[in-house]
Amino acid sequence: MSGAEALALTMIAAFIVLVFTGFPIAWILGGLAAVFTALAIVLEVDFAIPMNIDWFYTSMTVDRIWDVMENWVMVALPMFIFMGILLDRSGIARSLLTGFARLLGPVRGGLAITVTIIGVLLAASTGIIGASVVLLGLLGLPAMLENGYDRRLASGTVCAVGTLGILIPPSIMLVVMADRMAMSVGDLFLGALFPGVLLGGLYIVYLLGVGLVKPAHAPATPREPIDLAAVWELVKAIVPAAFLILAVLGSIFFGLATPTEAAGVGAAGALALAALKGVLTRKVLTEVVEETTRTTAFIFGAIIGAVCFTLVLRGLGGDELIERTLLGLPFGPTGIVICILIATFLLGFFLDWLELTLIILPLVAPVVASLQFDPVWFTVMFAVCLQTSFLTPPVGGALFYLRGIAPPGVDLPIIYRGVAPFIIIQLVGLVVIFQWEALATWLPAQAYGIR
Amino acid sequence: MGDAVQGLTLPETRASRAIDAVLGRIGRAASWLWVVLLAVIVSNVALRYLFGEGRIEFEELQWHLNSVAFLVAIAYAYQVDAHIRIDLVSSRLHPRAQVWIELYGTLLLTLPFIALVLVFAMPFVAHSWSVSEISPSPGGLPFRWFLKGVLPGAFLMLLLATLSRLSRLWAYLAAPRSEMGGA
Repeated sequence: MSGAEALALTMIAAFIVLVFTGFPIAWILGGLAAVFTALAIVLEVDFAIPMNIDWFYTSMTVDRIWDVMENWVMVALPMFIFMGILLDRSGIARSLLTGFARLLGPVRGGLAITVTIIGVLLAASTGIIGASVVLLGLLGLPAMLENGYDRRLASGTVCAVGTLGILIPPSIMLVVMADRMAMSVGDLFLGALFPGVLLGGLYIVYLLGVGLVKPAHAPATPREPIDLAAVWELVKAIVPAAFLILAVLGSIFFGLATPTEAAGVGAAGALALAALKGVLTRKVLTEVVEETTRTTAFIFGAIIGAVCFTLVLRGLGGDELIERTLLGLPFGPTGIVICILIATFLLGFFLDWLELTLIILPLVAPVVASLQFDPVWFTVMFAVCLQTSFLTPPVGGALFYLRGIAPPGVDLPIIYRGVAPFIIIQLVGLVVIFQWEALATWLPAQAYGIR
Repeated sequence: MGDAVQGLTLPETRASRAIDAVLGRIGRAASWLWVVLLAVIVSNVALRYLFGEGRIEFEELQWHLNSVAFLVAIAYAYQVDAHIRIDLVSSRLHPRAQVWIELYGTLLLTLPFIALVLVFAMPFVAHSWSVSEISPSPGGLPFRWFLKGVLPGAFLMLLLATLSRLSRLWAYLAAPRSEMGGA
């Protein structure tokens, strides 16, 4: 290993250590780019260790930031965020929850299934795991507990669904991943659809199963008399929002719109829904645009920090070092991919998807490409691994976020036991997607056939 | 989250009040650019389906608006402390320790990063302005030079937000311990 490569490893280690200080990720990444360039120059000038980078090299950070600025695909991010926040703030999400709860509540396990559906629909908006778990925890957990659901089952459901949301399109995580992997956002959306739906379906099967085997854990709610007016209320709550999400995905699938356009039109559709519902006041809209600004800002802030970090890391030879090390593993191509996925799983204990997507994914992508694996399939596997990791005790992020907002009596040991069955489901899902690559690759291929 | 380091309230200073008021106003005003962006996207899609082709200037306008909005937002988000942190470990530290970490992090990481971008953005923007750079695409927008100028502008705002925060961190550490119990 050369001196420059040793410095590159130190840079990665410094990032991981500094993350634990709780200092904002964007400044850690950008700051390390500046500090390690200075370090490299000192080592080269004063200690005659060749480093390959200087201030002129690092000045290219500005060109990398410009690349982020002129990236048309990334315009989809604020629009998806806007759409999700608007669905939440306008009360559309809440009426969806009550609507589905009325429909499914009388089934044992139905309330938990309702939370699953809402979590999947709202996922685009939240941006990070913490936010979606908190949202579902506040929206769905009290409803389940009041109706006598087992605390373990209720908290496990919220954690699992809060993390599943990042995987199901339209998802801002997938937009960022596609951008970093230089692949089409549409392909990745379509590739993630079946695996995401598969996991969601397995959750629902499990919840129904609990309802059958242990009725006391997931009791049915009293059946409300359903008349025509009630049915109409239900249709009004569910159909427009479901139509909106399906229209966004459908227009991408049939090539009617780019993901950016679909996101913009979806956001406009959410505006129309809120206006029709009569809740689009100036106050709500102000809240929504400002919340969109804050979420968009931390994502682009982290992206800008990460492009600077990655530039310096690459200059020091860090990516070649990782590539050489991974390709040198004595396990064969499949073994190497499994190693990458296990490492991803472990890193997911400490980092949210944003950091992993921005820093780790670009480092391992060339390795996976050189081993001839399908990039969409690999990215989907990467995403499912991350999601599983956020759920896994003792340090999975989702568990702590839920603990932070859960009512008394829902402690970590309860949550740990609650997520255990979902982790088994995740592992089953991972094996299935690993074995049947077509789950991720078939739909994108079909879309090309149609266009 | 408001004006806190991980749930911990920092005292305001005269400088921080002035800076935060201005940055807050700019950030909130710029938030409405999302609605403009949305309208531009919808118009472009409508044009494409009504008249058979989209307009290149509409597409460029979309990422122009996006980059102006998110760059301005970065400083605003710093002021309201919305940037993503991993606080699972650090939130268990003593509040004073958290403030010291924040102070050192700001001095040793945030400020060097801002300096890096500002110093190297200057020649980048100067070149663009000297040739009054426009879009290279036929039918593209004529004010690329302006957009490039937004980058150092946004980082100057970020610098101001950072100085405001430094003054508040310092005010916290300088105050007698009894007044600042923390969270």
